[in-house]
Amino acid sequence: MEILLFGIINSVTLSLTALGFTLVYSISRLPNFAHGALYVTSGYIVWLCVNTLGLNYLLGIVVGIVATAIIGALMYRLIILRIRGMQISEIIATYAIGLAIIEGLRWGGLRGSTFTLPSFLAGSIEIGGIAVDHQRLFVLGSGVVVFAALGLFVKFTKTGLALKAIAQDERAAMMLGIDSDRKALVSFALGSGLSAFAAVLILPLGSIVVETGYNVLIYSIAVSIIGGLGSWGGAIVASFLIGFAQILTEVFLSTQYQMVISLLAIIVTLLLKPSGIFGKQKELDDRV
Amino acid sequence: MRKGFGKTVWTVLFLALCVGGFSGVAAAAEPPIVIGAPLATAFLYGWDAERGIKLAVEEINAAGGVNVGGKKRPFAVEVIDTRDLEPGVPVSEALLGVEKLILEKKADFIVGGPVRSEAALAAMDLLSKYRKVSILTTGVLTPAYHKKVEGNYDKYKYCFRITSHVGVMANEFITFLGEIKKGHGFNKVYIMVQDVEHARKGGEVMKKMLTDKGWDVADMKIYPTGTTDFSVGLRDAAQKKADILFLWMDMPESSILLKQWSTMKLKALPVGFVNAAEQPGFWKATGGEGEYLIVNLVNGGNAPAKITPWTMKFAKAYEKRWGLEPEGYGTSSSYMAVYTLKEAIEKAGTIDSDAVITALENVNLMGVYGKISFDKKSHQVIPSLDPAEGAVTSIVQWQKGKRVQVFPPKTAEGKTLLPPWMK
Repeated sequence: MEILLFGIINSVTLSLTALGFTLVYSISRLPNFAHGALYVTSGYIVWLCVNTLGLNYLLGIVVGIVATAIIGALMYRLIILRIRGMQISEIIATYAIGLAIIEGLRWGGLRGSTFTLPSFLAGSIEIGGIAVDHQRLFVLGSGVVVFAALGLFVKFTKTGLALKAIAQDERAAMMLGIDSDRKALVSFALGSGLSAFAAVLILPLGSIVVETGYNVLIYSIAVSIIGGLGSWGGAIVASFLIGFAQILTEVFLSTQYQMVISLLAIIVTLLLKPSGIFGKQKELDDRV
Repeated sequence: MRKGFGKTVWTVLFLALCVGGFSGVAAAAEPPIVIGAPLATAFLYGWDAERGIKLAVEEINAAGGVNVGGKKRPFAVEVIDTRDLEPGVPVSEALLGVEKLILEKKADFIVGGPVRSEAALAAMDLLSKYRKVSILTTGVLTPAYHKKVEGNYDKYKYCFRITSHVGVMANEFITFLGEIKKGHGFNKVYIMVQDVEHARKGGEVMKKMLTDKGWDVADMKIYPTGTTDFSVGLRDAAQKKADILFLWMDMPESSILLKQWSTMKLKALPVGFVNAAEQPGFWKATGGEGEYLIVNLVNGGNAPAKITPWTMKFAKAYEKRWGLEPEGYGTSSSYMAVYTLKEAIEKAGTIDSDAVITALENVNLMGVYGKISFDKKSHQVIPSLDPAEGAVTSIVQWQKGKRVQVFPPKTAEGKTLLPPWMK
């Protein structure tokens, strides 16, 4: 019961943090290495709204998500667009932006562990004799809602269908009149907004620290590679694989090997199935 | 009559300006003694050390400076960010910082860090090479530092440490836990430490010492830096009916652990070295869920307490200057290091390294956290549980938003309290 419960919570938390990264890559084939930095930025924006500007918490959250989405869109429009298609440059540019954001936040005063966001729900509940705090259950519920909402958005809205079309075949979508650059911009904004959404859900469990940005990026990459770059379903499955592997490691081995397990999973996946569990990249025979 | 009075006033003012001005010129004419401070300024142990050093320097300069062989010289501080507490930053960065302070900033003395043990140990060779006297004030809890001085005195005699180390802290914890054991009949400890060198070592030392003292150590969990969920370990501690949850962590995420501990109402009293819980802002950050946590601040005076007559004077001066109470480990020791250096320079009558080393070895100063004196062979500050005998620690418990000193007994201002769900 303990493994099941904490495994599910851990997995949903992981998939929430990785969702934005996967979404951007699946649509625009752009690896957003600033994903972790945007995650921390959104938390800090909400903190500033609430503690410095004195805004209502809910309003602060909305401002944080919208502002992060705008930052993502600007990133694409002002920098990424100019180097699109040059894969190494894309990686270097997004990573550099992420570093600049993180160092900027540190320089701007985000130091120490006293920057916190209040929980939406205080207290805990016992499930099968195991105490679980309400906030974690809220993260769980919100994660399920977000996955469902995103699925509906992609299936039933014009923008969603356009994004899906580009993700499936960019050239064909362009021939049908879909503006690839505009949709990539939308995907960047949406992905950044999703990272902000994950942040406002998860950060109240602890505190806003810049180093979190690096961890979020590492786990997002791990989830995306194992699931198959660009596959949303794969990302969710990979989140559950890593999430449960971490809990099992903690219960049966030792907590200090949790990160090792995640990174080992990447290596094993790349060895057995280079394109990831649900990846659609060409297999070795096709590539050579 | 009125004209004569006016003339007198102007004459007095002119003379006053001349005297003040010339004395100012005289003080300014003496070159400053440059203190180089290599610190990880993005972290508590760095920025609070910087504030402690600057406060002491400002006080000393306002009082006329340092008397070096009859001439008053001011202190000047040059701070460099070593970044050595940041993940992934190599030790070489900190070494470059130290070298820059010595060669470019012309530091006469090094006070503060480097903060990470690995960096500080590596910097000892640089200090030796450039013959720069250094007083380590923050971070670096490894006993290897003073053992290295003792092992090769001639080479490393320039290195002093005015703060504590794991060996002393473990003994303090054992004594403190012994009191709790006696008072409440506790016997089982569950250890949770961070996966970094000093924490793992601290955990291992504690496990061995607790076992030797008859405690039942249920388990020891090692968490990677950045862990955000401690549910499984806390639940395990509950199932094993631990009375004490012993923690040794310097990652900010340890506040999550304490929130979960409070939410789960775990019947184990949290005690340890927890960086996130040292700062005055911890209470607000956890919404009061960190209440009852007992944390070791390493040196007295890192939270307001009446240890010596200087302690509260320092706490008030710090609050006035920086707008908050002394923050945590590194604050009082960095402040005291500057005063100790002043004392040594004045006794030596020169800033020559060898003369200052001899003076530091013989220093005997009643400071913020007790008597400051160094072991002549290892240059480690001499610890004690009595401020009249040596440097004392500060073990505090969070009680109603305040850090209340509960150990050592001679400096305690309150009793250890148990959370309501443990009574």
